[in-house]
Amino acid sequence: MPASDPKDSRSEKSGAAAPPADLASLGRRVSAARAATEARGEKFYQGASGTILAAFPPPERWDDWVELDSRAWPERVEHHSMLVPTTCFNCESACGLLAYVDRDTLRVRKFEGNPAHPGSRGKNCAKGPSTINQVTDPDRILYPLRRAGKRGEGKWERATWDEALDAIAARIRKAIVEGRHNEIMIHIGRPGEDGFTERVLASWGVDGHNSHTNVCSSGGRTGFQFWTGIDRPSPDHANAKVIFLISSHLETGHYFNPHAQRITEARARGAKVIVVDVRLSNTATHADYWISPRPGSEAAINLAIARHIITTGRANWDFIRQWYNWEEYLAACRPDGPQTFEAFRDALAELYHEFTFEYASAESGVDAAVLAEVAEVVAGAGTAFSCHSWRSAAAANLGGWQASRTLFFIATLLGAVATPGGTFPNAYNKFVPKPIHTPPHPHVWQELSWPVEYPLAQNELSFLLPHFLKDGRGRLDTYFSRVYNPVWTNPDGMSWMEVLTDPDKVGCYVALTPTWNESAYFADWVLPMGHASERHDTHSYEQYDGQWIGFRQPVLRAARERLGETVTDTRQVNPGEVWEENEFYIELSWRIDPDGTLGIRQYHESKAKPGTKLTVDEYYGWMFENSVPGLPEAAAAEGLTPLGYMRRYGAFEISAGLGARYSEEVPDQELTDVSVGPFGRVYTASPKPADSNIVPMGAPPADEAGRRAVGVTVDGTVRRGFPTPSGRLEFYSSTIAGWGWPEHAVPGYIKSHVHPDNLADGEMVLLSTFRLPTQIHTRSANSKWLDELSHTNPVWINPSDAARLGVSATGDLVRVSTHIGYFVAKAWITEGIRPGVVACSHHMGRWKLLGHDQVRSGGMMATVELARNGAEWDLRQRQQVKPYQSDDPDTMRIWWSDTGVHQNLTMPVHPDPISGMHCWHQAVRVTPAQPGDRHGDVTVDTAKAREVYKQWLAMTRPAGSFSPDGTRRPAWLMRPLKPAAETFSLSFNDPASTGS
Amino acid sequence: MIAGSQIEAPTAQDDGRWELLRALGSIALEIPPASDPACEALGLPAWERYEHTNVFVLDLPPHASVYLGGEGGIGGTIADAAGGVWRAMGLVPPDEPDHLGALLALYAHLGESTARCATRAAADRLGHFRRVLLWEHLWTWCPSYLAALGASSPERSPANAWAGLLGTALEREASLSEAPSVLPASLGEAPAPISVDPSLDELLDTLTATVRSGFIVTFTDLSAAAKQVGVGLRRGERRFALRSMLEQDPGGTLSWLAEHARLWESRHNAASSGSDGTQGPGGIINKWWAERAGRTAAVLEALAVTGRQR
Repeated sequence: MPASDPKDSRSEKSGAAAPPADLASLGRRVSAARAATEARGEKFYQGASGTILAAFPPPERWDDWVELDSRAWPERVEHHSMLVPTTCFNCESACGLLAYVDRDTLRVRKFEGNPAHPGSRGKNCAKGPSTINQVTDPDRILYPLRRAGKRGEGKWERATWDEALDAIAARIRKAIVEGRHNEIMIHIGRPGEDGFTERVLASWGVDGHNSHTNVCSSGGRTGFQFWTGIDRPSPDHANAKVIFLISSHLETGHYFNPHAQRITEARARGAKVIVVDVRLSNTATHADYWISPRPGSEAAINLAIARHIITTGRANWDFIRQWYNWEEYLAACRPDGPQTFEAFRDALAELYHEFTFEYASAESGVDAAVLAEVAEVVAGAGTAFSCHSWRSAAAANLGGWQASRTLFFIATLLGAVATPGGTFPNAYNKFVPKPIHTPPHPHVWQELSWPVEYPLAQNELSFLLPHFLKDGRGRLDTYFSRVYNPVWTNPDGMSWMEVLTDPDKVGCYVALTPTWNESAYFADWVLPMGHASERHDTHSYEQYDGQWIGFRQPVLRAARERLGETVTDTRQVNPGEVWEENEFYIELSWRIDPDGTLGIRQYHESKAKPGTKLTVDEYYGWMFENSVPGLPEAAAAEGLTPLGYMRRYGAFEISAGLGARYSEEVPDQELTDVSVGPFGRVYTASPKPADSNIVPMGAPPADEAGRRAVGVTVDGTVRRGFPTPSGRLEFYSSTIAGWGWPEHAVPGYIKSHVHPDNLADGEMVLLSTFRLPTQIHTRSANSKWLDELSHTNPVWINPSDAARLGVSATGDLVRVSTHIGYFVAKAWITEGIRPGVVACSHHMGRWKLLGHDQVRSGGMMATVELARNGAEWDLRQRQQVKPYQSDDPDTMRIWWSDTGVHQNLTMPVHPDPISGMHCWHQAVRVTPAQPGDRHGDVTVDTAKAREVYKQWLAMTRPAGSFSPDGTRRPAWLMRPLKPAAETFSLSFNDPASTGS
Repeated sequence: MIAGSQIEAPTAQDDGRWELLRALGSIALEIPPASDPACEALGLPAWERYEHTNVFVLDLPPHASVYLGGEGGIGGTIADAAGGVWRAMGLVPPDEPDHLGALLALYAHLGESTARCATRAAADRLGHFRRVLLWEHLWTWCPSYLAALGASSPERSPANAWAGLLGTALEREASLSEAPSVLPASLGEAPAPISVDPSLDELLDTLTATVRSGFIVTFTDLSAAAKQVGVGLRRGERRFALRSMLEQDPGGTLSWLAEHARLWESRHNAASSGSDGTQGPGGIINKWWAERAGRTAAVLEALAVTGRQR
């Protein structure tokens, strides 16, 4: 019996009467009418009924989407919008947005989620829709500005883009021509397109890329990179059985949306969530287990769990035997013992013997029975164990990178690597398309970013720049900050102000920024950059077992193009003269090298029309046509070009379900003239197959004959392995051992600088790394909705500490003294923080300088006065935020006045000697405020800051003394912009680089 | 592309059965003139915008939750239960899954999809969902809803014509489907009926929640009632207007409400038996409504006596 006969379905009554003739004929008539309407290419169901089986406006209706004006109710007033996709710019998740562009006014009405985006799947956090605040902010920077008075004086004059470009290009050209390449630097805040700025700098021959990563995530990255050769994890939360988060960051605030929605799905399936966080974070409130350890003890907890897995026989021994570099470990560390896997198993048990639950309890202050219970849950996860550690412990402690290394140790013990519900190396789940031009590696080494003292640093030692400049290690002729605010974001901001106002150290400071910020006040040029809906970028981030690419675009440009207009410059559609970076850098590069004689211009020229300027349409058109597998076919199926497809949908999923790529067999055609190392590393003379995905990862060294590393032998089969020197998961890091740190060559526990052993009497720990899910680093001040949600950062104090310290009530002022100064803030007495620790969130304490009338206060910037007496600095709030008149009536509705305190100013630099990460936790003394103290007061002594810098510098083991091979840095380690191979030599070019 | 965003193309075999229902549902969803093509195809008069707003926004919102929910408002557990049908099928429910247009569109989708099933088991599964949709989420309130709409609309108005045709179409669906032997959950687990001696607030709560009172009272009904009783009609929500009427003339207002409840009791009773005197489709459901309206009428009649004595 065919199933297509509806009368046969069991839901139908048999023998029912035939339908009335009029209904049948009406039904046929409606069907025919619909068919005829749709045959003409028109919509029969024009409104909501056409979308009733979808959760979002369907793409076929994105040209004219109709909504009712809620404020006109009960009148039915329609809004007709074009829906144009773009990508959020307010954190790194790169969630999809849909801009609702009013068809009548051609202005953006609002932003909502883009359902076609595979990562965010139509969902957004508060920061996404708040993009509209940034776009319509009455106080945003709209035109290029040139300093008119002294630096920091607050006097500006409007300039043209031509004036700015000519002046800046002339400086850069002169520096390059005179061989002063290292005097040019671009300092990145919010990342844009993967590799874009690096390629611009490479085209100039400059090693001047400086990122904020060493005040952000490099500690977390280090722990993962030394395991897999890839510096980020990609947890498959949605399919996990147990989710283990060492997190005050990723899943709680900042870029949490794609992860949080998948954790929610997992919880709905019954997955257990374990959160290790000193404070009660949003994520912790949803966890099955919230563990609040003593700060810095997280690695000890991880190792106790690891020991439990090992000693109770729950380790995935077959996986470990295949994929750990245990043979290398035994050869290096136990050469006299048996070189067998059984011996390694015994060694593991012996190595971690001391990490009992009782030991971890003593270190962490968490009950041993709780740790044992959690360990049992973890041990039961099998290969469905997903984990993440990003900021938090890894970003806060001396040796914090071991927090992520020991966390991934647990994952490897369970064999939960690139398994469903496990944790992947991010490169498996990320796609960075090869661009139209790839300039060569620069032939210079920037010692100001990659100093010889930190050969293993994960990223640039960006936060030490003021000290290096003060040391006289170099100077900067032209320094760009790009959507970044170094004075406010970094520790020791007063030292930043000292160098940014000293023309002998920084010749010209160019702030590329959408909004005013604490650094731009000291710039020579302030150049307006676009927000999420005003610029181009591509993005791809690890959010599930799949690869996608997202497209950020100027939505008004795309909207006008849909209407048949031609837009050749984003400034034609952006507010004022706001520009995007791509066009800016292409134009700047042309002006640096107008005739092409410096060899720069060629990388910014059209391929289709040589000798003419590259356009963004050609740049992305080429990329999407040639470097994104499957996109041309998907576009063709809809009658679109690949670029047209991305402008239309904003995202494309390239692949899903990639699985354990490390175990893929290496095909025979890649195995020519093979050599095999003593531990199974396989090298080949075959050239590397072309790959349009240039996702960053480690670059394992070649063998002595120059054959490239291609795989690793596992039980007689050559498999792809990991991009590490051994090709395996590096339980034992020959790199760490070889560069002077053999005691940390295996996952271990390093006692933090804020370990109780290292605190003086009366000192507490200040936790300052955490963020709120409703704020953006330094661009929140012009998001009125976000400002209203969160605008202050009280100091969290446990009731027992409050009683001990004499802080009687929430709202009382406290003075928090670091080793270089103090700040005054309001207390929040709460059980959400463990005793002995105080906490103060990021984001707040924004300020504008008294007399800087070009800056409006917004809802987040207090007006302050800065006073300097030699090395002693005082910042005092002179005016809190209050309602004010502007084009936006909401500025008269500001009901709050407290915008918190800028605590980072009082923090000295703490560079971890291995990862290079700034260790944010501070040893502080907390007292009730003293007479004369006012909320928001900050006092700092930068001479003391210099002393702390030197103390931490003395902890390093510089390459000059410890390099095993005469180079500055292991060449296989990742580096955002890699200079040419010869520059790695300690003897290259610069005698000062050998260090001491 | 986004799954589920496309409407299924009509098939030749279904004789327009599903498209008819979808088109009727779309008229409740679409703002005129977007609904004009459907009206024209169905031979129904086109709606003016004010008429559409008056019926579907102000007087008789076409949401199951308004008539089956304990508070008589849009959303809540009734809407969530309707969304559950979407979720059970792996679809993302729309913002208002209990909207009549949404329910009919899903019903039509299920009917069309059944015809495309490759196996009997798959067809049975969709058939089961469709039957649940019909008896649990449509038939539990639509006959009353359409009766109220028909009663409050002029004879030749678009609303009246639409309600008549949709009622006929739904009766056909009910006649083709096996009626449930037990009460649907929304009625079986309905909030308690009116109590014998309610406070004023309790009384108002009951009267504005159809599932508790057993009848629908619209603002248009109240307008007529105020005229009949001789009290002023204050503009606002029904609860506010009703409170004002009861405060002005409790006896007269309660008497009118009692009559209204009896009217609905008879409507439900008539619907529970077919035109030929046999039991109509879903008789158990109509019987439940009739009992509830009858109980409310009895309580109101008793209260009216007390109210007059005061």
